[in-house]
Amino acid sequence: MTMEVQRVNVKFFAAAGCGVALDSFVRVFNSWIQGTDGEYYDLADYGHVPAGPGVVLVADEANISIDNNGDRLGLLYSRKRPLDGTNREKLVASVAAALDYCRRIEEEPALDGRMRFRGDEALIIVNDRLFAPNNEETFSALKPEIEALAKTLYGGTSFTIEREQEPRKRFAVHIKASAPFSIKTLLESLRKNVN
Amino acid sequence: MNTNWKAKLGDRIPVDLGREIDIFETQMELRKQGKIDERVFAETRLRRGIYGQRYDNSQRHDGEKIQKLKIAATGLTKGPDTVWDAPGMMRIKVPFGGLNAEQMETLADLSEEYSDGISHVTTRQDIQYHFVHIEDTPALMRRLAAVGITTREACGNVVRNVTACPLAGICRDETFDVTPYAKASSKFLLGHPDTQDFGRKFKLAFSGCAQHPCGLTSMHDMGAIARSRTEDGVERRGFELYVGGGLGAVPYKAQLFDDFLPEEELLPTAQAIARVFARLGEKRNRARARIKFLIANLGIDKFRQMVDEERRKLTDDPRWTSYLPETREPGETPLKTGIALNGAERPEGFDAWYATNVYRQRQPGYVATTITLPLGDITAEQLRGLADVARRFVNETVRTTVDQNILLRWVSETDLPELYRALKKIGLAAPNAGTIVDVTSCPGTDTCKLGIASSRGLAKELRQRLSEKSFELDQAVKDLRIKVSGCFNSCGQHHIADIGFYGISRNIDGYTVPHFQVMLGGKFRDNAGAYGLAIGAVPSKRIPDVVTRVTDRYVAARQKGESFQDFIGRIGKKETKAMLEDLMKVPPHEQAPSYYSDWGDPREFTLTGMGVGECAGEVVSAAQFTLAACEREIFEAQIRFDAGDLPGAATMAYGAMVHAAEALIKTQNYDVPRDDEGIVAEFRRLFCDTQVFYDKYMGTTFADYIFKARDAMQHAGDIDKAVALQRLQEAQLFIDAAHSCYNKLIAGAVVVPAPAVAEARSA
Repeated sequence: MTMEVQRVNVKFFAAAGCGVALDSFVRVFNSWIQGTDGEYYDLADYGHVPAGPGVVLVADEANISIDNNGDRLGLLYSRKRPLDGTNREKLVASVAAALDYCRRIEEEPALDGRMRFRGDEALIIVNDRLFAPNNEETFSALKPEIEALAKTLYGGTSFTIEREQEPRKRFAVHIKASAPFSIKTLLESLRKNVN
Repeated sequence: MNTNWKAKLGDRIPVDLGREIDIFETQMELRKQGKIDERVFAETRLRRGIYGQRYDNSQRHDGEKIQKLKIAATGLTKGPDTVWDAPGMMRIKVPFGGLNAEQMETLADLSEEYSDGISHVTTRQDIQYHFVHIEDTPALMRRLAAVGITTREACGNVVRNVTACPLAGICRDETFDVTPYAKASSKFLLGHPDTQDFGRKFKLAFSGCAQHPCGLTSMHDMGAIARSRTEDGVERRGFELYVGGGLGAVPYKAQLFDDFLPEEELLPTAQAIARVFARLGEKRNRARARIKFLIANLGIDKFRQMVDEERRKLTDDPRWTSYLPETREPGETPLKTGIALNGAERPEGFDAWYATNVYRQRQPGYVATTITLPLGDITAEQLRGLADVARRFVNETVRTTVDQNILLRWVSETDLPELYRALKKIGLAAPNAGTIVDVTSCPGTDTCKLGIASSRGLAKELRQRLSEKSFELDQAVKDLRIKVSGCFNSCGQHHIADIGFYGISRNIDGYTVPHFQVMLGGKFRDNAGAYGLAIGAVPSKRIPDVVTRVTDRYVAARQKGESFQDFIGRIGKKETKAMLEDLMKVPPHEQAPSYYSDWGDPREFTLTGMGVGECAGEVVSAAQFTLAACEREIFEAQIRFDAGDLPGAATMAYGAMVHAAEALIKTQNYDVPRDDEGIVAEFRRLFCDTQVFYDKYMGTTFADYIFKARDAMQHAGDIDKAVALQRLQEAQLFIDAAHSCYNKLIAGAVVVPAPAVAEARSA
């Protein structure tokens, strides 16, 4: 089955013990806005909503958020504009962008190293119920691409891929590696193996 | 992508809704081709619920400088100074707030795929999404249509969402259930020809009783309160009808139009009111275009007389009464037997939640429970969870409320502990519904182009502070309501709160400082019975201190049983202002820079983010709308021609000409003949016989095209390609000439002679 993947969302979760209040990210994202020239449209603060979208930095190509959906804090990269290339290339590009934002957060001076992400788990969502309904058929069609992506990220380390089983939710997979990985390592792996 | 949702949903989309969405998609295409004027398109999209949002002019102040946003630079706009690709707001009408489980699931899905994962409940029982791209809207609308929801007329100068008391049908004090009347009104007035030519929006609300606030009828353009009386031993239903209420910069309390309007007169009276408003309401001065100004100018007696005259002229419409048998049927059925709560184990937190969030229904054994939503926001995950709860505990009987919450009706009381556990699991078991903690707020500067100060930022701060000390609050304070608006337009309904605020700014030593005007003593009860008193402007950052000071003083100085309104009235404005005077001062920037930014927004405060609001819509006349529709029809006729449907193309081209003629007639006579024969005859009398529709070089050539086409339609022969093509070309020329004639009429360059107009009107 040929399936074109667009609107890929990628989430990397906060490492255990990261206690940065969501309000801090309003300031961080605001400084990012000031540091670029019109790249980001606005930000939306949903810190008052339990287990919600957190703080969202809105842009044309993708939204970036410190997301707390599922009551798990993490960085969510939500691609909006279409990407060119094969499905694998689109997945890699989205994961690379998410990792790059994680790196930026980890290196953010205002946070003083208090926010770290775990690289051993990634959530990949295809935000399009029309082209990628959450079912086995979609999973079968995309599994080879996702496995290839996981191999690129984790090399020889074993990993598992689990599909979201709630049919009403968007198509999503959790990739979990059997060993810890840093964001920096994953970025290096992507650069080395993709370019 | 949109086309695929159309194919996938197929028959699930009702034909009429599907056709409307197809039309809108064509209008989008025509706008891209420059064939629809941006103002006309703006009002067109507003009438589909597609609203502008802050910074959609592609400029944003980042606290230091104005940035030009990197929005696809196609040069295309979706309205004046509104960039096509800029994200916007989508408003979804939920008549009387009624939702079922499938609808909630769909709303959840759409918020994830097209917005930011949040569904926002508004103060008029609507749902709003933010940051939506216009290209996604047809798919979004189709998916809503498939579950019976329309976004039509959610914005723009039309009849907005018809609201109703969320307790209707289960209330202990109501006269009767107003739900079927709200439903019928919503359906009848939606897209009705008599509601398409207003100068401003028109809001309608229903309440089952006079004493409670749930319907807020006093602040609506038209408010109906259920009444019954006995005539000749027979109980009759009717409404105490009010008109001309409204908040905004100049709040008006609605005036009594009729103390008992029989139920069968509800819809025709609404229609007659709409016709008077359309004909006589202000169209140019947007600030005075709501019906409240018309009624104030005419006086209620004169207005009533005009509506009565209009009512007598109306031709009977079976829809006026066809729904009435439904009003005597049970509206909703419970899922479970109603059993009292007897000694069941109560989970932790249950009692506090029970005290504020549970309402005992008039039906024994049943309760309604309020789901408190912080600032009206609910996540997709929570909405899906709530859909499950609605299926498990009740018969999907759910309503949104004007307090920006959600009400679950017909819960068997014995299920409450289990329901509480289920709600807690999805983060929806917060207590304090309807208390001072449950602060209402409009979007303000977060997303609204008119916002001056951050109403949501302030509401969030107040909510957090009050929530932390809610257990120690005096009950009299706990029962107060706080409502916040980002500007004087009052979408947060600050006028009717005990403690209300609306955003303003003050210039201090060259800096713009966010402030809120303090309004005290408004009355939420009695259907928004009284409006608050403006006390003075206080810097945003001191507003929490205002709340503390005012409530502390109330607790300390109130007399026995004295309400907050009476207390404020007794101590008077002078004393109240003196109490807050020191809070009104702004320290210099170097001493307290935090005063110079708003709640939840680290940027130094400016007003540069403000734009031209779309609440007032665009004043686009019915004639302009009809002319725009002709462009779409001729476009669709061309598509039919290209597809080889020659008779279809010719018929549609003729229809477009008839509509162009109709548009011109509307400039002279509100009542347009309903069939093409009448329209063509009226067009001849008003515009051809008078030589108003006349080209300096071509004479009557263009006018003749419509007469020729009508003859051809009556003597239908085979339509070959050449005939169809000629009809298309002539139709296009006729429509162009109609535009030209319209422009000349508006500019006053030509005038239809008075005798011809008089003749048309009397006909």
